[in-house]
Amino acid sequence: MTEPLSPLAGVRIADFTIHAAGPFSTHVLSQLGAECIKIESKARPDAFRKPHAVYGRMTAATFDQVSANKLSVRLNLKKPEAVALAKRIVAVSDAAAESFRAGVMKRLGLDFEVLREVKPDLVMLSLSSCGQSGPDSHFAGYAPLFGAWGGLGWMSGYSDGPPVEMRHVMDHSAGYHAAVALVAALHQSRRTGRGQYIDLAAREVASAMIGDALVLASLGAEAPRPGNGDLAMAPHGVYATAEPDRWLTIAVRNDAEWRALATVLEQQAAAEDSRFATTEARRRHQAELDDLMTRWLSQANADTTAEQLQRAGVSAHVSWNMQDIADDPHLHARGTLTEVHDPSVDRRYAVGAPARFSATSDVGIRRATPELGQDEDYVFGELLGLTTDQRADLEEREVIL
Amino acid sequence: MIKSDSRDSGNLPLAGCRVIEHSRTVAAAYAGRLLAVMGAEVVMIEPPAGSVLRKAPPLLDDGAGPSALFAYLAAGKDSLVCDLESAAGRQRLAEELAQADILIDDTPLARRQALGLDTAAVAERHPALVHVSVLPFGASGPKAHWDGEEVNLMHASGEGFLLPNGRSHELFPDRAPLKIYGHFAGYQAGCVAALSALSAWWAVADAGGQYIDVSVQDAMLLCGAFALQRLGDGSLEHRATRSFRYGGVFEARDGFIELLTLEDRQWNGLVQLLGNPGWAQDEALRDPLERSRRGSEINAHIREWMARHDVETIVANAQELGVPAARYRTPDEVLHGDQECARQLFTRSTLDDGREADILLAPYRFHRTPLQLRGGVPAIGQRQQANAGQGATPQGAPP
Repeated sequence: MTEPLSPLAGVRIADFTIHAAGPFSTHVLSQLGAECIKIESKARPDAFRKPHAVYGRMTAATFDQVSANKLSVRLNLKKPEAVALAKRIVAVSDAAAESFRAGVMKRLGLDFEVLREVKPDLVMLSLSSCGQSGPDSHFAGYAPLFGAWGGLGWMSGYSDGPPVEMRHVMDHSAGYHAAVALVAALHQSRRTGRGQYIDLAAREVASAMIGDALVLASLGAEAPRPGNGDLAMAPHGVYATAEPDRWLTIAVRNDAEWRALATVLEQQAAAEDSRFATTEARRRHQAELDDLMTRWLSQANADTTAEQLQRAGVSAHVSWNMQDIADDPHLHARGTLTEVHDPSVDRRYAVGAPARFSATSDVGIRRATPELGQDEDYVFGELLGLTTDQRADLEEREVIL
Repeated sequence: MIKSDSRDSGNLPLAGCRVIEHSRTVAAAYAGRLLAVMGAEVVMIEPPAGSVLRKAPPLLDDGAGPSALFAYLAAGKDSLVCDLESAAGRQRLAEELAQADILIDDTPLARRQALGLDTAAVAERHPALVHVSVLPFGASGPKAHWDGEEVNLMHASGEGFLLPNGRSHELFPDRAPLKIYGHFAGYQAGCVAALSALSAWWAVADAGGQYIDVSVQDAMLLCGAFALQRLGDGSLEHRATRSFRYGGVFEARDGFIELLTLEDRQWNGLVQLLGNPGWAQDEALRDPLERSRRGSEINAHIREWMARHDVETIVANAQELGVPAARYRTPDEVLHGDQECARQLFTRSTLDDGREADILLAPYRFHRTPLQLRGGVPAIGQRQQANAGQGATPQGAPP
């Protein structure tokens, strides 16, 4: 018996996903050992291969996290021969994933009904903004729209302010959910020998993030928008410290933690103040409590205070920017941060596998962003058995483009 | 199966997968929830007083009733009371684990040995078990013993510092950064725990059981990895500057709208939506970089126009013109949305106090075998009661 090095070793995914959410799902699976073949073309390059004015990026990205680890082949899916080749890739894969607008795969002749003919136990994932069915299924959208439709945007925000726009984490949350569903379907396919079609709607992922508020709504209750507050913890929030824009987050769950906090902040009088003696009392006097916290912490060093509070058993952490994260010994010790090669900067980090495995421990980023068509020798040559001449001909006729 | 179930769950994706969940955090409980809705048999091990999540806000009945969060997280699971402080309870857990494929546990490291949940002991006794540890900062590394709630973890992973962006920050530039509603980081870690569990279970025939170390901070950091990528590109992101230069959150006459145009054709559609106003005819605005440069000027025009129109009209016309726009919907609007109803996003479930509520099933559909939540929200010790009802011994025969 040979031990697999990665949990998903041997799983192959034909990856048609574009933009952020879909590619993130297959990227995470690739970190766990799945072989992802990214099918793209020069005719319609993925976003990271183009300039991005919004981010002031005037050339292709030098590194793209969600494309890392993947193999790249070119197929111009406007040509029937390219579609036939795509089907052959699917036929030698365990799963296929796509994130076009609903209906595009069918138009290309690559929908589940067609693909299951070449691979009866195929697991296929379609990730879209609103799903493949329903009156809104044709709507296009980005992460901020998923958050708006799904209710997460409304629920996030200052209590007296407008809703908040979700960003990439919304895309990637959809990708995480898609990855979970895809592996579950692989189990099902292996057990039953029958394929499965997964239809994920990113806006429904946003709704899943407010599942508790939706339970309240179904019983006629209105869910409050708590901002940084909490309905059970006080003090609870994000506080300014001595250094500008260096915020300290604190969450106090119970009276013992409250007393510990008062001790660390050297506020014995407050610890004995009956207004703050119980969680209920602290919640009732929250405004006064937050004023005091703000005053106490205004001259504090955020980093040392966080450490002192943690030692005293209080949940606290500095509001970190990405430089703090890149420099963090804990994340380095865990291997969460992986150095990836990029000639344009001295050192750059990407985020490695989201979990450590004791047995199938070979997880993480193995290679950086692939060049367009970098892996055609392996995929077209070895997997599909195309000869060099055949490939040259296909390239000549812009099937491989 | 102990529970009676009229619907056939034998074909669900994870039929036959047995999961023991010992949870006090949203991350671990959400992992179990994801597995339960896909057909795994998930048993929550609860202390005699019940899981702390049963009292986690938001609560029903203006704070006097059961937890809406727990209802959402526990629907479709079973409950077994096991006092792990006692030898009998730990023995009972071991018997359950002997029948299980996956253990999800979020006990703090310092408490694990006393509760019979330390890695080595579990591995020795249950060599084929997939043992998933879920902790705020993971089970290894210098901060493994640190504690963290959602607000701490959202900021420890970098996303908290970047929120709010856009309109909220424009209106309140001096306020503290703002977390995402609820338990967003916890949910991402739940996904990672479920994904890791299923991936290790996939390899169990070859690799046997194993121990998996999930950190909420890691899971949320990977979710927000784009900001680290931007750092690698030479740019340290900040909530004040990461907003889209134009577009974003707008207040219409009767609600809020998200509007975002990233491509030229969408911009052209937007100009049409606004009725081809004079300011938008400026030739220079054909260049996306120039639009970005003059973003706040453009937004001021859009804001003025939005305030004079209704959300429904704007959104309908926008989508017609290929302009991505959506209403910021309240939970009530989501619950009763045509799209959600058409896709049967919610399922009627019985809460542990007998009331019925609509609970979100899962954000994806499995077309061949529709997902389901079996048995509603479990009462404390539901499994013992079911066993007693069927004449089984209190210590429980294997399922």
